[in-house]
Amino acid sequence: MRKYVHPEVLVSTGWVADHLNDPNVRIVESDEDILLYETGHISGSVKIDWQANLQDPVVRDYINSDRFAELMSRKGISNDTTVVFYGDKNNWWACYAFWAFRMFGHKRCLLMNGGRLKWLAENRPTVRETPDYPATSYRVDEFNEKKIRAFRDEVLHHIMENKPLIDVRSPAEYAGELLHMEDYPQEGALRGGHIPGARNVPWSRAAKEDGTFKSADDLAKIYEKEAGLNPGADVIAYCRIGERSAHTWFVLTYLLGYENVRNYDGSWTEWGNLVRSPIER
Amino acid sequence: MWNTVQTDIFDESESYQMGSVMQKLDEIVRDFQSVGDEFRLELLLDYAEKLPPLPDRFQGRRTPVLNRVPECQTPVYLYVEVENQRVRIYADVGRESPTVRGLVSILISAYNGATPEAVMEVPPDLIHRLGLTNKIGIVRIRGLSGIISKLKMAVANA
Repeated sequence: MRKYVHPEVLVSTGWVADHLNDPNVRIVESDEDILLYETGHISGSVKIDWQANLQDPVVRDYINSDRFAELMSRKGISNDTTVVFYGDKNNWWACYAFWAFRMFGHKRCLLMNGGRLKWLAENRPTVRETPDYPATSYRVDEFNEKKIRAFRDEVLHHIMENKPLIDVRSPAEYAGELLHMEDYPQEGALRGGHIPGARNVPWSRAAKEDGTFKSADDLAKIYEKEAGLNPGADVIAYCRIGERSAHTWFVLTYLLGYENVRNYDGSWTEWGNLVRSPIER
Repeated sequence: MWNTVQTDIFDESESYQMGSVMQKLDEIVRDFQSVGDEFRLELLLDYAEKLPPLPDRFQGRRTPVLNRVPECQTPVYLYVEVENQRVRIYADVGRESPTVRGLVSILISAYNGATPEAVMEVPPDLIHRLGLTNKIGIVRIRGLSGIISKLKMAVANA
């Protein structure tokens, strides 16, 4: 039986309940819906919005290191704070925030297994008060962009070298029948299909009904037996704007222990619009 | 301009109706425009909480094809009744999607009791008029706009 390679990054709802007042721990909620945190959240948790907080308002990019440091200071997070992420939709957006925090070199990142869904299913309490923490002085000393983020030119080289790509969108998007996720907004790609050679493993297959992750054995079956990956592989994952693939990045990196996984956040909304980019259907 | 519908084209009651619906929507838009960004989201949350529960008679009728808004990330079920040229809108939106609940609740507040024609005039850029574009972000806006089209289709088919 296989085990998660880095089980230490996952904490249970019970662990979080026991650390609500731990000054070394900051709980971060990150959701798809921008108002969900306001309807009730884990006591003491702060909100980080993937769009309003982590993305640059003008250029299609993430905020820079200085603005990340300001954000951390405002949320009362120090360089040595243990940050526990949780959120809606199987922790999809929580994984995206986790990935962004790792990109800015934040060291102690944990994920609450099962996310918001599990916390509420267990009838654990939520509050509406927004906490106010004293500002910290935060410094970004390490920028991990090269290690965990991929850009389009790198993806092109990746294809030429026949290295594995994982397309985590729905099968209909992968096949080019749909230009956007089923039930999700159209995000403006002019062409449908997938990056040549990419294997399709919809991101949500990694999660169980209750929002927690599947066992290492089940994950290995999906990503290794079916999709042909192996732990030594240099893998690029992508989706539509890089959010669903951050979830898969988390699964491959921490649960299956792959050391070289990058998230291509330009994803289909970039690739499907690029003139002459190779596309397979 | 909406408040000055000519009475020689519409009968008295209809022109009054068009006027009052637009006034109601204008009021909501003004409320949103008059507050800062953060309060705007709070206002949207207030609407989310005011969304009336779905009447029992609709509970069994969750026909996905008919009532579900396909462009939206959240299952949104819209039910429309038109009687004596007056539209009644009912909706079922999960509590885990307050943004969507808020928008649906605004539509209900502004358009319940309106004529079908008035519903057809819901501004497609309503979310932008409410000043929510920057706050909610373009990716989320597209899904919300789908609700407006679906409401119009539902009224057209009612």
